[in-house]
Amino acid sequence: MDKNGHHRKEKEKQLKRSILTNMIIVPFIPFLLAIGVSFYFFTTALEDRTVNSLKRIVQDHCDMIDSFLIERKSDLELITNTYDFDEINSAKSINIIFENLKNRSGAFVDLGLFDSHGIHIKYSGKYQLKGKEYKDEVWFKKVMQNGYYISDIFLGYRNIPHFIIAVRQNRKNKTWVLRATIDTQYFCTLVTKVRIGRTGEAYILNKNGIAQTQRRSGGILVLEKDHEYVKFPESENSIQTFVKSDAAKNKYLYATTWLKNREWLLVVRQEKKDAYKSLYSAFYSSLMIMVIGGAIIMVIAIYTTERILKRIEHLGMEKESLGNQLIRATQLAEIGEMAAGFAHEINNPLQIIKSEYTLIQTLMDEIFNEDEIQKNEDIKDIEDSLDQIKLQVNRCSEITHAILKFGRKNETEDKLLRPSIVIPEIINMIEKKANVSGVEIIKNISEKAYGFMGDPSQFQQVMLNLFNNAMDAIEDRHGSSGGRLSITVCKKNENRLEIKIADNGIGISPANIEKIFSPFFTTKPVGKGTGLGLSVCYGIIESFGGTMKVTSEQNIGTTFIISLPAIN
Amino acid sequence: MEKMKIMLVDDEERFLKTTKKLIEKKGYAVVTALSGEEALEKLKRQNTHVVILDVKMPGMDGNQTLKAIKTLYPLVEVIMLTGHGTMDSAIDGLKSGAFDYLVKPADIDEIIEKVMEAFEKRQRFEEKIRLAQTKKYMRSPREILKGDDE
Repeated sequence: MDKNGHHRKEKEKQLKRSILTNMIIVPFIPFLLAIGVSFYFFTTALEDRTVNSLKRIVQDHCDMIDSFLIERKSDLELITNTYDFDEINSAKSINIIFENLKNRSGAFVDLGLFDSHGIHIKYSGKYQLKGKEYKDEVWFKKVMQNGYYISDIFLGYRNIPHFIIAVRQNRKNKTWVLRATIDTQYFCTLVTKVRIGRTGEAYILNKNGIAQTQRRSGGILVLEKDHEYVKFPESENSIQTFVKSDAAKNKYLYATTWLKNREWLLVVRQEKKDAYKSLYSAFYSSLMIMVIGGAIIMVIAIYTTERILKRIEHLGMEKESLGNQLIRATQLAEIGEMAAGFAHEINNPLQIIKSEYTLIQTLMDEIFNEDEIQKNEDIKDIEDSLDQIKLQVNRCSEITHAILKFGRKNETEDKLLRPSIVIPEIINMIEKKANVSGVEIIKNISEKAYGFMGDPSQFQQVMLNLFNNAMDAIEDRHGSSGGRLSITVCKKNENRLEIKIADNGIGISPANIEKIFSPFFTTKPVGKGTGLGLSVCYGIIESFGGTMKVTSEQNIGTTFIISLPAIN
Repeated sequence: MEKMKIMLVDDEERFLKTTKKLIEKKGYAVVTALSGEEALEKLKRQNTHVVILDVKMPGMDGNQTLKAIKTLYPLVEVIMLTGHGTMDSAIDGLKSGAFDYLVKPADIDEIIEKVMEAFEKRQRFEEKIRLAQTKKYMRSPREILKGDDE
């Protein structure tokens, strides 16, 4: 029983686990898929957009800076094409030209004229550079070679970061160079004016990674070397985007492109955290939805599982009780069937006995009537014996019919029964057994004329059952002497009569007393009792409209009280 | 009046023997059969008025035998003998045309009484047939002559 219960609990737990797992996993799969897929598409779209906007910015910026440089170069070319060397080579005219130039663009800081030997012939600006020789400078060599040159940022004689644009003119067998300095501040503003988000910035590095402009975030100053540069991926003409972390482990999103014939690299970068800000907020909201949704799923799953289990348990209990009822009904039906078959088979030999008895009786009558022989004592004994055979056969037939009635609900015949007549008759049946067991039978039956309605053989069955039980109980306690069985019948009130059957047997234990009327309950050893007797009695008395109660004390005795509706 | 002839059908040989003796003592002729098949066989050869038929028998049971008798010999009256447990088949028997039923163990007097009732019914019936035949003859006396010719 205990083991069974344990086993069932184990099974219940297993069932609970499997239901709960399914209830959680099944909604979780589409839930996670939906969130995952939408999150994936959202982030890719966002990343694409961010990268593309960075690319566009770098492209626009690159175009702008390139055109700035080309314009400044064109400015100088315009001068060299418009004026002759001699026209410029006067302090007055170079100042006028420089003023004109400044009017075109505020980026110009100064203007200088050089002869083919690199001697600074004329200068207009705030530095004292006139007369200096530039023959060995890189820029001068380049301009002589290429016709024009735009330098990197350098310090030069003036010791201030700047860069120059120079163009060479070759006319009337005379070679000369016009050089203008560009305001670094002006150029820096032009480059760094890109502002994206909180950390977006743009700057220029040269081929060697030397910073050509300052940057919004500060850090590396102009002319300082950017150590990150060597780690930049190899870049072709087109725009390159990549993610790199700096020394402080901050991740940056980069977009780069070459400027000025691949001499300068325009870098636009933004801290990844900043660039993907909305991405992170999308991630956090997804996470939150997931956590909340998950929690809701869990709660619903647990609640539903609990409800399902309760329902299952309830159904199980219903099934069990139904099963018990079915078993009981089947057992009863089987016993009824068996008893009916048994009784039916007994009726055949009874028929033969009856026929034989009738034959003997007939023959006896013929012998003694025709020959008128005097009947002696022996013959009289035979006749008495024959009467007994008839009586006993009739009794047997009544019993078999009673069994058949029990087996099938055959029609019963309700008659007015008078206890003062019926009960002594039944007592007579057990008197012999009582004598053998040394049981004293005390009858206390009121002779008053009242009775009750019931089937005589059924009532007999009840009484015999109770008497036999009582005698068994007495025998268990007293053996073969000292037993007492009292039968009391009295009128309780106007319409109720009471039959009390009391014995001084071993009694019934309190644990058993509740169960004695239930079918198949017996304390007798297997094969000795069906456990049907008292339950059938109970049913019969109920069908008479009466009630049956029991009181008992162990080792003192048991009393059965039958209460029936009284009829005068 | 014709002497009544009874047939007893039961698978218990001793019952047949004793009951035959008892009925013969009352002055009636008795034929016995141990099975339905035997009963039908004997009915072919012997004119029988009333059959007492046990319901439960091996082979052809009481009800099958009853139906066969009622088909082959409609005038023969049948009394079913049942062992109470086969009350349903007794009812079936009555529906199939049995005269009545008796519950085992039955008194010989009870049996005789029922047999007498059955016999009287049969006699009344035969009387009716006779009367009808007489009327028929009265209508055309020639028929009698014709019948004599044949």
